[in-house]
Amino acid sequence: MPELPDSELVVRAQQGDLNAMGMLYDQHYKMIFRYLRARVGDQLLAEDLTGDVFRRMLTGLPQYRSLGLPFRAWLFRIAHNLMIDHYRQESGREMASLDEDKTESQPQGEDDPAVVLEQKLRFENAHRALSELEQFQREVLALRFLGGLSLRETALALNKTEDAVKALQRRGLIALRLTLTEEQP
Amino acid sequence: MNQLDNLLEERLTRLEAGESLELCLVGLPDDEAALLKKAALLRAIADAEPAADKVTAQRNELLRLAQQNKKMTSQVRNTPSSRPRWLLPTVAFSSLVALTLVCMLVVSAGSGLIWLWQQSQSASVAQNTTDTPIAGATQAVLGPVATPEVIAVEASDPQSAALNSSRGLIEIQTNEGAWVTAKNGEVVRAGQRLRAGALSSAALAFYDGSRARLGPNSEVSVDTLDAQTSGGPRIVLLTQWVGDSNHQVAASTDPASRYEVHTPSGIGTAKGTAFHVFVSSTLLTRFDVDEGAVSVTSLSVTVIVVAGQSTVIISGQPPSEPTFRIKGEGEVFKIGNSWRVAGNTFLTNLTTVVVGDPQVGDWVSFEARTLADGSRLADRISLLHRAPENRFAFSGIAENMSSEEWTISGRSVRISEDTEIGDDIEVGDQVAVEGGIAQGGTLWAARIRLIEPEKLPFEFTGVVESIGNDSWMISGRVVAIDEDTRIEGDIEIGDIVRVKGQVLEDGNWLAKSVRLVEKDKREFEIVGPVESMAPWVVAGVEFATDDRTEIDDDIEAGDRVRVKGRILDDGTWLAEEIQRLEEGRPRRFKFVGEVTGMDPWVVGGIELTVNENTEIKGDIAVGNFVRVEGRILEDGAWLAQKIKRLDSRLGCLSFSTVIRSADAQQIVLLDWRAVKLGEGIEVKGEVKVAAVVIVFGCVQEDGELVIINVIVVYQLDSIPIVVIKPPSDNGGGGDGDHHDEDDSDDD
Repeated sequence: MPELPDSELVVRAQQGDLNAMGMLYDQHYKMIFRYLRARVGDQLLAEDLTGDVFRRMLTGLPQYRSLGLPFRAWLFRIAHNLMIDHYRQESGREMASLDEDKTESQPQGEDDPAVVLEQKLRFENAHRALSELEQFQREVLALRFLGGLSLRETALALNKTEDAVKALQRRGLIALRLTLTEEQP
Repeated sequence: MNQLDNLLEERLTRLEAGESLELCLVGLPDDEAALLKKAALLRAIADAEPAADKVTAQRNELLRLAQQNKKMTSQVRNTPSSRPRWLLPTVAFSSLVALTLVCMLVVSAGSGLIWLWQQSQSASVAQNTTDTPIAGATQAVLGPVATPEVIAVEASDPQSAALNSSRGLIEIQTNEGAWVTAKNGEVVRAGQRLRAGALSSAALAFYDGSRARLGPNSEVSVDTLDAQTSGGPRIVLLTQWVGDSNHQVAASTDPASRYEVHTPSGIGTAKGTAFHVFVSSTLLTRFDVDEGAVSVTSLSVTVIVVAGQSTVIISGQPPSEPTFRIKGEGEVFKIGNSWRVAGNTFLTNLTTVVVGDPQVGDWVSFEARTLADGSRLADRISLLHRAPENRFAFSGIAENMSSEEWTISGRSVRISEDTEIGDDIEVGDQVAVEGGIAQGGTLWAARIRLIEPEKLPFEFTGVVESIGNDSWMISGRVVAIDEDTRIEGDIEIGDIVRVKGQVLEDGNWLAKSVRLVEKDKREFEIVGPVESMAPWVVAGVEFATDDRTEIDDDIEAGDRVRVKGRILDDGTWLAEEIQRLEEGRPRRFKFVGEVTGMDPWVVGGIELTVNENTEIKGDIAVGNFVRVEGRILEDGAWLAQKIKRLDSRLGCLSFSTVIRSADAQQIVLLDWRAVKLGEGIEVKGEVKVAAVVIVFGCVQEDGELVIINVIVVYQLDSIPIVVIKPPSDNGGGGDGDHHDEDDSDDD
């Protein structure tokens, strides 16, 4: 079945169409998960938070203004806020400290332990590099390249101008040049 | 730096679109290539998936919760009067239907459904426009009041309608002829009359799913109501006496079904369509059709108005030949007998409604009709944002105070008899000052107020909905009144008032003063913590933002902010500025002025400090107007953090027209303009000769109209006969080339 635009699915879901609700989940859960996983560095936590994002989406959908914020940007804003809430609740704890190995759950879909290990190391490398960035640089890169948001969606999700997002992503990528290596550790 | 940002973004966009990294790297400087590679690496690394069993479980749980909500809502619909009111918010899910997607789209009238649909389309298109001003402007034209309707209470039977989504003062007439306040959920039956006050609006939900929304200052009576869905024709007959209303008529299979809006001048009859009705106080009536077709009759003359068209009835005359519409937003370049907005010229006449006294430089929305000769007649021009030119606002320490001049953090500010000065300010106090910048950089204070960090002041203009001994309801806000509250003027329900006060610790709003004001003054200002950012809620007030809302960077939930804005016609609170309050570092400025020097930088007569961190946007030269934001340093220097060139011709619009000819490469519109397809233009529907289309586009700084999408809304039998001659240049900018010659004639 071809993907329907979010705007149509949202209206249908607001009218109680369960299929539309399911399709909204199908079309977005992966990106939300990837964004959260990169931000929290923990597969299990990211999975749980992804579920929370969609529960919050369900609650907020009746009030969602489709013209104020694209749906995807709105969803990522929920994800961002949830992540912040999570760490606020665990105050004192470093955000996604990489000293802990919290990626105990293996990425799905891979059976070869060597591939799994390689993926894990690559991810940790990226996560470590991201976590060293300034907050908004990190947010912009995570939303754009891990979450797959467009420039405009990213700007809307972060309440920033597109110019500001461009500048942040550029500065973030410059910082990553020093820390994100293509070689595996 | 800006160019490099744009170059990198262009390549990133191509990469996102699926182009190979190798191709994207071609021609890129080494440094930028390295950045692009990092972005590609990051994308590749992100390729992870959650556990499949968790995905399934989460999906099922989501649907289960949605189903649960749906069932509860269904129960509410079946027993609306017995359901406790407190339950409504928790069960609102599926009953919150997006009513008349039409209604609230661009300031109040018109082709809402189309606009809503367009927005969703244009949003996706805008994603691909990257750094053009189009993306922002697209948002701007559709942003401010584009809140889809929500219906919390459905009609319980075919002979009743349920009042929903009321804002401001909605009243219903009793059998005795008295007007009483009506609330959401109120049942309305045939024979009753309903009216919406200033800054007010409400929706009627009919049993068959049809919706009618009343705009501000409107009055409608329900003449006949039998909105049955089976067993006979649906009959909804309304009379609109004055004001605006939008109608979304549910389709009916019974050919005898009727949905009619009578006006003092004529009747509009619809079957399964969306349309807007405007009745002026002079009894001029206009029908705008958004979907399908509406037959409009007056003096036994009937015209068929199809999607994208309007007709006007002047009292005592038959309806005019249907004409095509244009609407949008943009900056005012000229006012007078003709207006120039967003690169287009609009004629005005006595029937044109101008809301908010817009001036040159202001940002307005417009609705207009294309006349037979190709000229455009404005039906409505509404102020959305005041021009920010040569205004400043900053805060600092009041170091010296005299009757003519104050010194605030080292900066002299002139005082006049018009300066509004807060009570109890003394030397040493922290104050906020705002005003205008005169020639030569003199700062004239319009207002100086004391900053009281622990207090949460509010100030807004709204319509009085109820008056009690201890509290009043003003534009949906309950405002407490005590013995210290100053009530200025003989205020009655329905009046527009200015309220100043303070948000108390318990969240209540206590008024210090309430005074009558002119209807055009609708500003609000509140200070409080950010409770939510999607939607925006500060100090309990939900408000809308649009692309022109200036929002400080780095605001998060919980931050203390000052919100300034305007209350629009329909009661929507639209923020113009959201400023993060930074206790301890409050000395900021923001203004617009002309660049008179760049070494050193002088804007509006004020010398600025510019350093390597100053963000300079756009190619700026002496003589340009720029917006400057920054901080006042300890030594009194004004450090510019951001200098941005103002775009003076931006605006976005949609207009309906007919396709004269079409092939796979291009379409030619009724005004002979050719639109090449496949160049980033999204086309919805089958483009054929005589198809009515809505064309959506934005005007760039150079005046060129960049078309974003074309939506087919109706198919005519033949091309209408018009007198517009083919222009010599089909690709021209704007969309009013044939009548630009009147630019200098008539101010």
